[in-house]
Amino acid sequence: MEFDWTDEDAAYRAELRAYIRKMLPKGWRGYDQTDRPAYKTAARAFAQGMAEHGWLTQNWPKEYGGAECSAWRQAILGEELTPIGEPRGSQYMNVNWIGPAIMRFGTEEQKLNHLRRIAAGDVFWCQGFSEPDAGSDLASLRTRAVRDGDDYVVNGSKIWTSHVGIADFCILLVRTGEPDSRARGITVLIVPMGQPGFTTRHINSLAGDESHYELFFDEMRIPVSARLGEENQGWEVVRWALAYERVGSTQYQRAAVQLAEAAEIAIANGKFDDPEIQSRFGEAWAACQAARLLTLKVYDLREAGSPPTADSNLSRLISTDCLKMVAQLSADVLGLEALDRKGPGIDPIRNASMAVASGTSEIQLDRIAIDFLGLPRSK
Amino acid sequence: MQFSPNEQQRQIIESLQTLLSRHAGRERALQFARTPGYDHELDAALGQAGFLDISQASETGGLDAALAGFETARTAAVTCFTASALVSPNVTGHVSDLRVALAEAPVTQPIRLGGYCEMLLVLNDDEALTLDTTPDDWTTVDTNRAGFPLARLRPGAITRARSLGPGSGARLRDWWRVEIAVQAAGLMKGALDLTVDFLRDRRQFGRPIGSFQAVQHRLGRLAVMVEGARWLAFEAAYRDARPDLAATAAAFAAGGADTMFRECHQLHGAIGFTRDFPLHVWSIRLLQLQQELGGVSRHRRDAAQLTFLNPEVLAAAVTPAV
Repeated sequence: MEFDWTDEDAAYRAELRAYIRKMLPKGWRGYDQTDRPAYKTAARAFAQGMAEHGWLTQNWPKEYGGAECSAWRQAILGEELTPIGEPRGSQYMNVNWIGPAIMRFGTEEQKLNHLRRIAAGDVFWCQGFSEPDAGSDLASLRTRAVRDGDDYVVNGSKIWTSHVGIADFCILLVRTGEPDSRARGITVLIVPMGQPGFTTRHINSLAGDESHYELFFDEMRIPVSARLGEENQGWEVVRWALAYERVGSTQYQRAAVQLAEAAEIAIANGKFDDPEIQSRFGEAWAACQAARLLTLKVYDLREAGSPPTADSNLSRLISTDCLKMVAQLSADVLGLEALDRKGPGIDPIRNASMAVASGTSEIQLDRIAIDFLGLPRSK
Repeated sequence: MQFSPNEQQRQIIESLQTLLSRHAGRERALQFARTPGYDHELDAALGQAGFLDISQASETGGLDAALAGFETARTAAVTCFTASALVSPNVTGHVSDLRVALAEAPVTQPIRLGGYCEMLLVLNDDEALTLDTTPDDWTTVDTNRAGFPLARLRPGAITRARSLGPGSGARLRDWWRVEIAVQAAGLMKGALDLTVDFLRDRRQFGRPIGSFQAVQHRLGRLAVMVEGARWLAFEAAYRDARPDLAATAAAFAAGGADTMFRECHQLHGAIGFTRDFPLHVWSIRLLQLQQELGGVSRHRRDAAQLTFLNPEVLAAAVTPAV
């Protein structure tokens, strides 16, 4: 048991920080996502620059464009990039779980087609998971894929998909088993955006301009060769994906950085001298640090080759709790000033929405109860 | 960065768990609650097995002692072990087999295990004091046979105390905070384990209470609290009780102690409020620990000051703004 970074990891972090400073303008807080072409160009340039240094996929095998370093490099990437608005854009998902899922479940052809591109920072993905009637109960999804020769014919719809406006591919969950087959009848397809029969609709979201889309599939044909993993075995892919996704963007560090910014304001405007406010800063900081350790523990398990465990649910729950706690504290420090979107306040809506994304807090609690504490199932 | 214990730590934990399975546990905890006293038998076993020297035995001695302290606290044993093996050597610079208790000047508050200690470490601003004590120095506090045995130091005894020199106070405060975090994490884990076991077995409405989602979600939150407290305590011990980390660990652990108390009792129902059921041994100790060293608010304010008013600590913890 030890809590130090290796010298090599620390050096990697320092190089990353220097690169970030060089690449991003002062005061940069994230992309203006309404200008999709500019966002895509800039995010791609940032990721490609990282890829040229070999920093994007450090923990991947060499044959797929990695450097075979430890999984800790992913944690460092997340810690440095998530809090400042993720300059890779949605490419963080590719590196965190889509690439590893393709490595684990993909065919040689899929590995050849996708992994190098992801490692090169050249491609954007989105994920088609939730449906209007399959949110927390993801295993009840109904988007149907029926075999027709060498193709699947897909009909149905998805909702709450992020990054659609810039994506090149969608990783799509479909039902190939009987309607009531639940987790035993789900398959994963890799779908190019713009495929005939595939349309999208932007949803006006409170959580950010490009936060949510609907996806519609009307007789969309996808070759069987685009299937990731075996037919009806997609739930295993999902379990892996979600365990990686939950810790992939290091929300604890986003909360910690936001808290540090709120503290800076509180120190400047005198609120930090209020013992109650100061106590709440200590409380929130302690929660962020607990979230950090519970998330790093998941990376440790990943590094040890462990299959997904409920540790990722603990990490997600406490991290999103931190985001909500920090947003409230920021508002109490700033007063109504907090509601000025161009001001220094933390967006409480966006922070609150993180406790719904990637499985609601209630789903995390279900998993913790059953898988971590070993409590009996409710039915 | 590695969360699993190394080989040496694994051996420490395993051999301590074996020892505790013989000399501690729920029945024994209840026994000491019925007939208050100090577990000299356990102390002797810990001493013989070399656990009192643990903090000086290797480079990661502070962490190793914290791991041992966590395991011991889990069993709600009546022992000064964590103060003796974790705090004392790191403050005085040497290992001793004395039973140690911790206090803050002017030493008017009741003290955890005070009546049984042989040495009292006293936090007096920037210096730590040591006081050799005998049972005559103490008056027992009536705790209604609940929680840690408490005692009050007789007026005048403190005049015999000797200073460990300027600066020693900070060291004592920081290691005491780690000790609070380790103790609280261990007690929380013990209380949660009891509660989960009970709710798996106890049936109402034809099914285990623990299968109700309304109950499961509350337990899930407690699990996060226990795990967070545990890892923060271990990290603070690993980093030699760095002041900001020690305050942060104490803030989190002590901050959750009353929630753990309330939730575990509520989820047990009436049985949890009986002396025959062991929950109170763990739960009331949590409330006592929460009040030590200025209480939760002081830990939290110190964590905030030591982090946000310290550019070096802050820069190492969060990505600097672009």
